[in-house]
Amino acid sequence: MSTITPTPTESPSPGTGLRPTLEELRENTRLLITLRWVAGLSILLGTLAARLFLDIGLQTLPLLIIGLSVLGYNTLLWSFIRAGETSHLQRVQQIAWGQIILDWLAMIVLVHFTGGITSPALIYFVIHAALSGTILLPWQTRSLVGLAVVIVGGLAWFERNGGLPHVRIAELGLDNDLYQNTTYIAAIVFFFGTTILTLSDLVTRNAQRLRQREKHIRELYDARATFVRVATHELRAPLGASLSLMRNIEQGYAGELSPQQRTILTRVTSRLEGLRTLIDDLLTLATSREASTAHAPLEPDSVRAVLERIIEREKPHADHKAIRLDCDLSREPGIVMAGDVGLGIIFGNLLNNAIKYTPEGGHVAVQYRIAPAAHAAEITVQDSGMGIPADDLPHIFNEFFRAKNAKNSQVMGTGIGLSTVRTLVERYQGQITLESDEGQGTTVRVSLPLAPDQTPPKDRDGDI
Amino acid sequence: MAKKILIIDDDPDVVLAIRMPLESAGYEVRDAHSQESGLVAVEDFRPDLIILDVMMDTHTAGFQLAQKLHGPAAKADHRRIPILMVTAIHQTTPLRFGPDEDYLPVQGFIDKPINPKGLLDEIAKLLSK
Repeated sequence: MSTITPTPTESPSPGTGLRPTLEELRENTRLLITLRWVAGLSILLGTLAARLFLDIGLQTLPLLIIGLSVLGYNTLLWSFIRAGETSHLQRVQQIAWGQIILDWLAMIVLVHFTGGITSPALIYFVIHAALSGTILLPWQTRSLVGLAVVIVGGLAWFERNGGLPHVRIAELGLDNDLYQNTTYIAAIVFFFGTTILTLSDLVTRNAQRLRQREKHIRELYDARATFVRVATHELRAPLGASLSLMRNIEQGYAGELSPQQRTILTRVTSRLEGLRTLIDDLLTLATSREASTAHAPLEPDSVRAVLERIIEREKPHADHKAIRLDCDLSREPGIVMAGDVGLGIIFGNLLNNAIKYTPEGGHVAVQYRIAPAAHAAEITVQDSGMGIPADDLPHIFNEFFRAKNAKNSQVMGTGIGLSTVRTLVERYQGQITLESDEGQGTTVRVSLPLAPDQTPPKDRDGDI
Repeated sequence: MAKKILIIDDDPDVVLAIRMPLESAGYEVRDAHSQESGLVAVEDFRPDLIILDVMMDTHTAGFQLAQKLHGPAAKADHRRIPILMVTAIHQTTPLRFGPDEDYLPVQGFIDKPINPKGLLDEIAKLLSK
C-alpha cells in the first residue's frame, strides 16, 4: 500500500525572492537616474553656496569632483537607457548593479569629505538602501547593506586611528553643544527631511503599484471566470441536445439499426459523453477556483449536511453499477469554515471517483467522524476499485494528470477532480492523504479543522 | 383518449428528442418555444402535463412560467396540470433544489441530456397521481 500527501502549494521563499521584471527594473532605474540628477546638482550647488555665501570651510574641490562624477556617470546611464540598451533583462540587471556600486562609492567619498562619522550626509545611505531593495534581490540588498556598515565603520576607524585624515568642518562646531548650533540643526533637518520624504515617496509608490497590480489581476481573474462559465454553458446546450437525440436512436425510438450502425452510434455517443465530462469538469474547476481564491469568504458549513446531500446525489450511480455503498456518518453536524459549493465539490469528486473507478458489484464506503483530539472532521472514502499504480501516485494531485490504468480504462475523466479537491482542502486549512494499491482499491482521507467555536464532542460520536 | 403533453423549450433539437419517445408511446404532443407562446398553448391545447425548460429567452423563463401557471395567482385549472421541469443544473453543480409549493411549484425534474426511457417513466408516474 502506498500513501501520498500532496506537498503544499509553493510560495516564493523570502530568502531567495522573485526577480524584478524588466519593466520594473527599467522604471526603477529611471527613478534612480532622476534622483541622481537632483543629488549631483545639490552637491555642486550646495558646495558652492556653502563656500560663497555661508563661508563654511568645506573642501570645495573634492566635493565638486564628486558632484561632477555623479552627474557624469548619470549621463552615461541616461544615454544607455535612451539608446534602448534596456531591452535585455541581463543587461539591465548589470546596469542596476553597476549604478548602485558607483553611487555607494560616491557616497562614501562624500561622507568622508563632509566629516566622516559626524557627516550629516550619512543618513543618505538609508535612501539608497531602500532604492537598492526595489531593483535587487533580497540577498543582494542585504549583502550591500552589510557592506555599507563595514565601509562606514571602517572609514570611521581609519579616521579615528589616523589611517585617513579626518575632515573637520569647524563651522558645524561638533565639539560644542550640538543642539545650540543652528548650522548643525539646519543640516540635520535638511538631510533628515529629504531622507524621509524620499523614503515615504518610494514606499507609497511601490504600495500603489502593488495595489494597481492586484486590482488588475482581480479583473483578469473575474473576466476569465465569467468566460469559462458562459463558454461551458453555451457548450453544454448543443451537447445536451445531441446526446438526447442519440439516446432516442439507441433506445429504438427512431427505428431499427444495423449492428454496424449501432457500433458507430455507440462510439459517437461515447465521445460525446467524454466531451460532456470534460466540460462539466472545467465548469467545476472554474467554480472551485472561485471558491478557493483568497477573497472568497469562508462560512460555517455542516460536513454532515453536505455529505448527506452528495450521497443522495451519487447513490443512483452506485445503484446503477450494483455497487454497495456503505455510509457510516457521525451524528455531529461537524461545522467547518468552508463554503457550501467548495465542500460539495470536495465530497462530490471523491465519491464520484470512487464509484466511477470501482467495477460493477464492488464496494464503496463513506465514513465521517469527529476527531476530538485534532479538533477536526475526518471524512474517509474507500473503494474496491482499480487503484492507482505506485509510479503514478506522486502525480495524482496534479492538474490534468490521470493514472495509466485510468487512461486505459473506459472510464471518462479529465484529471481535474483530485487537483481541485486538493486546492479546496488546502484553502480550508485541511489535510488530504491518499492510499492506494493497484487493483485493490483506493482510500482517501480528508481532515478539515472544525470552526473555532465548535466544542468537540466527547462521548456523542454515535453512528447511524 | 390519448393524454396530451405540451413541450415548452426553445431548442428544436431537444423538442424533437422529447417528442419522439412521447409520440411512440401514444401521447398527443404539441410544442411551444417561449414563455408567451407556452401560455397561449396551455389555453388552446389544454394539456394533461407540461414539460418545461428552464432557460429560454431568459435564464429563468421556465421558473417564471411555472410561477404563472402554479403560483398563488394562477387559475385553478392551470394548477391542476403537472409540470415536469427539464434542467441541466443537477448534474453539474452541488446545488440541489426540489419541487416547492411557494418558490418552485413544479412536480418533477428531468436532467439533460434526456434519457427517453427515464422520461416516459417519470411522465407515467406524474400522470397516474
